[in-house]
Amino acid sequence: MRLALLSLLLLVTPVLAEENLVSGVSQDLIQITSNYTGSDIVVFGDVERQVKATGRDIVVVVRGPDTALTVRRRDRVAGVWINHDAASLNGMPAYYYLASSRPLVQIAPPAMLARYGIGMANLQPDTVHAHHDVEPFRQAALRLMADQGLYREAPAGVEFLSDTLFRAHVPVPAGVTRGQYDVEVFLLRNGIIESAQSTPLFIDQTGLERRLYNWAHDQPFGYGLAAVAMALIMGWLSSVVFRRPV
Amino acid sequence: MEIYLPIAEMSVHWVVILGMGLAVGFLSGLFGVGGGFLLTPLLVFYGIPSTVAVATTLSHITASSISGALAQWRKRAIDFTMAGVMLSGGILGTVFGVWLFAVMRRAGQMDLVVSLSYVVLLGAVGSLMLNESWVALRTARAGGPPPVHPVNHVWIHGLPLRLRFRQSRLYISVIPPILIGFITGALSAIMGIGGGFIIVPAMIYLLRMPTNVVIGTSLVQIIGITALTTLLQATSNYAVDMVLAAILIVGGVVGAQFGVRVGGKLSGERIRFLMALLVLAVFLRLLWGLVVPPSDHYSLTLGT
Repeated sequence: MRLALLSLLLLVTPVLAEENLVSGVSQDLIQITSNYTGSDIVVFGDVERQVKATGRDIVVVVRGPDTALTVRRRDRVAGVWINHDAASLNGMPAYYYLASSRPLVQIAPPAMLARYGIGMANLQPDTVHAHHDVEPFRQAALRLMADQGLYREAPAGVEFLSDTLFRAHVPVPAGVTRGQYDVEVFLLRNGIIESAQSTPLFIDQTGLERRLYNWAHDQPFGYGLAAVAMALIMGWLSSVVFRRPV
Repeated sequence: MEIYLPIAEMSVHWVVILGMGLAVGFLSGLFGVGGGFLLTPLLVFYGIPSTVAVATTLSHITASSISGALAQWRKRAIDFTMAGVMLSGGILGTVFGVWLFAVMRRAGQMDLVVSLSYVVLLGAVGSLMLNESWVALRTARAGGPPPVHPVNHVWIHGLPLRLRFRQSRLYISVIPPILIGFITGALSAIMGIGGGFIIVPAMIYLLRMPTNVVIGTSLVQIIGITALTTLLQATSNYAVDMVLAAILIVGGVVGAQFGVRVGGKLSGERIRFLMALLVLAVFLRLLWGLVVPPSDHYSLTLGT
C-alpha cells in the first residue's frame, strides 16, 4: 500500500511541477486522389504550466515511412557517363519536414540534436550497403531529397499565437510515399528536451488509383491482359470512329 | 489539370501527356511508323521513370497499329504464315528482352542500356535513311528512273528449313524471319518500340517480300510483340501504367488521323527524308545526354 502510494506520487509529482506539452494534428488521414496536387496539415499545441516564454522552443518533426534510398554516382567510362558506384541507405525516411520556433543552431547544441536525431543533417541510415565511404552518398541523398521537396526544414515554421499556443503548417506534396507518418512535437527549454509527443498520420491512395495500383501488384497477369485489351479495343474503336466513307 | 499516375507514382499534367500522344500520333500517321522511338524518350524527358515509359509506350503502339492492321486485313494484304513464323522468333526475343530489362533494372543501368540502344539504333537507321532518301530525292528531281538496289542474297537462299509463303510468293528458309522477329522482340522490350522501322526494311531488302504485303504483315508482328511485351512487363516489372496508357492512346489515335491526311499529300522520298531528319534529331539529343558531363553526378531512387 505504501509502495503503491509512493509510485503514484512519483508519477504525479513531475506532471504537477513541470511544464507539459499538449498537441494535435488537423488531420490524421490524408487520401491521395487523382487530382491531388498537395495539401497542408496543421500541427498545433499548447505549453501547459509554462514557466516563462524566453528560452523555450518548439520543434515539430513529420517523418515519413522508412525506406531505402539508393544513390548512384555517374562516372565517365569510355567517354560515356554511366552509373558507376552506388550506395543503398536503409531506414531513411521517405519524407522529412522539420519546423521550429527558431533556427536549430540557436535552440540546442549540435551534439544534443545529433543524439536525438533531430534535423535533416542528423538523418542517419540504419544499415548501409556500399563498398566505399558512404558519407558523400548520404550527403547527396539529403540534397536530392531536399531538391524534390521531400526533405525540408523551416527554421521559423512554428508560430506562437499566444504566449503558449503554437501551430505549424506542414506541406504534404503530391508524390509522397503512402504509409504511416509520425508527427513528433518536442518542447525544449535551454536546449534540453522537456517533453515530447508523437501522433501517427496516415497517407493513403484512394479511389481508382488505389484499386489500379493494388490490381497491378496483386494480379499482374490479369492487369496486363486488361492493359492489352484496353489498347486493342481503343485502337479498334478509333478505326470505327475515323473510318473514311468509301 | 494534374492527374496522379498510380504506377509511375507521380502527378503529371494530363494536357501535356495528351499533347505528346497527339504529336507522336500525328508523326506516326505521317510516316507510317508506330512512333515508339519518339514517345519513350519524350516521356523520359518529361520525368516519367524509364521503366514505366518503356512498358507503357508499348500499349500505345498496340492501339495505333490495330487500325492499320484492320485496314490491311480488309485488303487481304497480310501474309499470316510469315507473320506467324516471325512472331515465333519474336516471342523468344521478347522473353529474352524482358529478362534483360529486369537484370539491368536491378543493376541500376536501365537508363544507360535504353540510351545506348537508342543512340546506336537511331544513329544507324537515321543515317541510312537520310542517305537513301537524299539519293532518291535528287534522282526524282533530275527526272531519271529510281535507282535499283542490286542486293545479293545467296546466303539467305542457301539456308535450310525452307517454307513456302504463299501470300508473299516466296520459298525461303524460316531462319531469317525468325531472327528478324527475335531481334525486334528483344528491342521492343528494352526500348519500348514496335520496331516497324527495322522490320519493314528487313522484309523488303532481306526477305524480298512484295511491298503490298509488307505493311500489313509487319503490323501483325508488331501487335503481337507489343501485346506480349505489355503483358510480360506488367507481370515481371509492374511497369505498365494504365492511366498513362489511356491518355496517350486517345491523343495518339486522333493525331494519327491528321498525320495520315497530311502524309497523303507528300511524296514517299520526301516523307522518308523528313523522317530521317527526325530520327537523327532524337539521336543527337540522346547522344548529347550521354557524353556531356551531367549537371549532377548523383542520382537517387526510392527503394532498393
